[in-house]
Amino acid sequence: MPSLRDSFAQILHNVGREDSNLVVLVGDISHFRLQPFAKDCPGRYYNVGICEPTIVNMAAGLAKVGFHPVVHTISPFIVERSFEQLKLDFCYQKWGGNIVTVGSAFDYANLGCSHHCYGDFAMLKTLPETQLFYPASYIEFDCIFRQVYNNDVLSYFRIPMHGHSHSLSPEQINVGEAIKICEGQDLTMVAVGSQLKTALESLESLAELGITVDLIYIHTIKPFDYQSVNESLRKTHRCLVIEEHSIFGGVFDDVVRYSQEIEHARYASIAIPNTFIREYGTYEQHCRRLGFSVEGIVQKVKNQLINYSEPLKKIFP
Amino acid sequence: MNIELRKKIVEVITSAGAGHIPSAFSIVDIVAYLYEHILKFDPKNPDWPERDYFILSKGHGCAALYVVLEKHGFITQEDLDKESKEEGVLGGHPDSTKIPGVEASTGSLGHGIGTAIGVALGLKIQRRNNKVIVLIGDGECNEGTIWECALVGANLKLGNLCCIVDNNGSASQILPVSDLKQKWESFGWEVYEIDGHSEEQMADVFSKIKFDYTQKPKVIIANTVKGKGVSFMEVHGPWHYRAPKPDELEPIYKELDAHTSKNY
Repeated sequence: MPSLRDSFAQILHNVGREDSNLVVLVGDISHFRLQPFAKDCPGRYYNVGICEPTIVNMAAGLAKVGFHPVVHTISPFIVERSFEQLKLDFCYQKWGGNIVTVGSAFDYANLGCSHHCYGDFAMLKTLPETQLFYPASYIEFDCIFRQVYNNDVLSYFRIPMHGHSHSLSPEQINVGEAIKICEGQDLTMVAVGSQLKTALESLESLAELGITVDLIYIHTIKPFDYQSVNESLRKTHRCLVIEEHSIFGGVFDDVVRYSQEIEHARYASIAIPNTFIREYGTYEQHCRRLGFSVEGIVQKVKNQLINYSEPLKKIFP
Repeated sequence: MNIELRKKIVEVITSAGAGHIPSAFSIVDIVAYLYEHILKFDPKNPDWPERDYFILSKGHGCAALYVVLEKHGFITQEDLDKESKEEGVLGGHPDSTKIPGVEASTGSLGHGIGTAIGVALGLKIQRRNNKVIVLIGDGECNEGTIWECALVGANLKLGNLCCIVDNNGSASQILPVSDLKQKWESFGWEVYEIDGHSEEQMADVFSKIKFDYTQKPKVIIANTVKGKGVSFMEVHGPWHYRAPKPDELEPIYKELDAHTSKNY
C-alpha cells in the first residue's frame, strides 16, 4: 500500500494535469516523489530551498496573481516558524492557498522536539480564513483537496505517516462533515485522523464491558461539525475524544465548547499532555506511552466516564 | 525634492495624530518618481491585469504612498483626511484589503519582498511582461527573510523584479548592514546605486534597467536621508513616530518652503 505521502504526490499530479493554475513549492522534501508532477506540469514545481517563511510568503504572491499554490514541507517549519506569513500574507489578505505537511504530531518520533508538531490545530484555529484538515487515508485527501484547493481561504492539510486503514467511500467524505462509523448507546467516541484505527480496535473490549459506542470520525478540524457530536452526546451523555494533539486547542476543546447546552454530559480525552515529548523510540512506542492504545481507551472510559470513581476535577485531562 | 507632497504627508500625519514622517520623507521622492514615470496603472481599475506591481515592504512609510495614490486618483483627499480615523480606509500601515492601488498589506518588516518574489514568479510562469517593484528599508535588511528572498530571487532568475533599498541609515543605529551593494552583488543581483532624492539619477538608472524575466533580478541602493527636507526631523530621534503639535507646524513648513522645489 502506498504511503499517504506517496498518495499526496499522486493526487497533486492528477490535479496538476487538470488545472494549470496549481503550483507546488516544496522545502526540499518529497522532491523525488513529486517528479511526475514536475515533468507533466512544467514551470509549476519549485524545490525552493530551506527557507520556509519565504516559501509561504512567495506562495501568497503567487495566489495574488491567480495561482493555487501548494506549500509542502515538515509541519513545524510552516506552522511554527512561518506562522506570521500564514497570518499576514495569506489569511488577512484573504488570499487562498494550500499547506500540506508531513510530520504529523510525533510521527518523526525519534527526531525530537524540532520535528514534532502537536499544537498545530490550536495555533491555526486562531487564524480567520482558514480550514484545517487531517485526512488519514488516500480517499480523504483526494476528496477534500479537490473540494477546497482552489477556494479563497488557506487550507491546511496535516498528512500523517500512519493512516487509519478504515475503508471510506467518496460519498461519505465532505468538507466540514463528521462521519458516523458505527452506532451505539453508551458512549460517544470522537476519533480524529489516524486514531480512528485505535478507536476501532477498542470497540470489542468496550463491548465486553457492556459499552456500545457511537463512533464519530473527524477529518475536518475547522469548520468543526459540532452538530454531529452533539446529536450523539444528547443520546449517550458520555464523550471520549482521542486525538494526536496537545490537550490545549484540539478537537476536545471544540467538543466541550459547542456542547455546553447538553446537561449531565461527561467528557474525557486522550491527547498529548502539556509537556514536551522528550523520549525517543518509535511512533508505536509513543502511542502506547501516551495512551493511544486499546488499553488506554478502556482505562480512560472505566476511570472517567463510567464508574465516576475519580473526583470531577480530574475529568478533564 | 517634492515639497508639496512632503507638506501633505505632514498634514495627513498631523490629522491622524501619529505616524512616521521621517520614514515617509526618505522615500517620497522615489515613490513619486515611480508613479510618474515608471509604473503602468489605471486608478479607475486598480486590478487592471496589465498594470505594474509596486509593493511598499517598509509599510510604516505609507504616508508617502498615500499622498502619491491621492495625486494619481486612486484615493481622495477625504480619504487622506480620515487617515487612522475609525471610519477611514487608511491606517498606519498600508492595507490591500481596503485601499485601491495597494498591492500588499505590510507592516511587519520582511514580508513585502516575499510577496513580490511570488508575484514576479507568477508573472514569469504566465509569461507576462508586467514589472514588479518592491521598496524595502536598510533597517528591514536586518530581517532574515530579506536574505532568503535575495537567494530565491536570484536562483529563480526573476529579472522582472526590481528591489529598491531605501538606504536611510536606519540599520546603522543598531545593527549595521555594511556595504549593501557588495552584499546584493554576492547574492547574484544586478546592483545599481543612486541618490534616492535625485530625479535625474532615478531617470538614469531606470533607463539602464531591463525588466526581463530571463535575467538577474535588479536592486537599486537608494541613498536617502531619513526626514529629508526638515533639518530637525532628519536622521534618527524622537520624530521617528510622532505627529507635530500645532506650534511645531510653522517651523516644518518654513523649512520646506525654503527648499528649491521641483514639484510636478
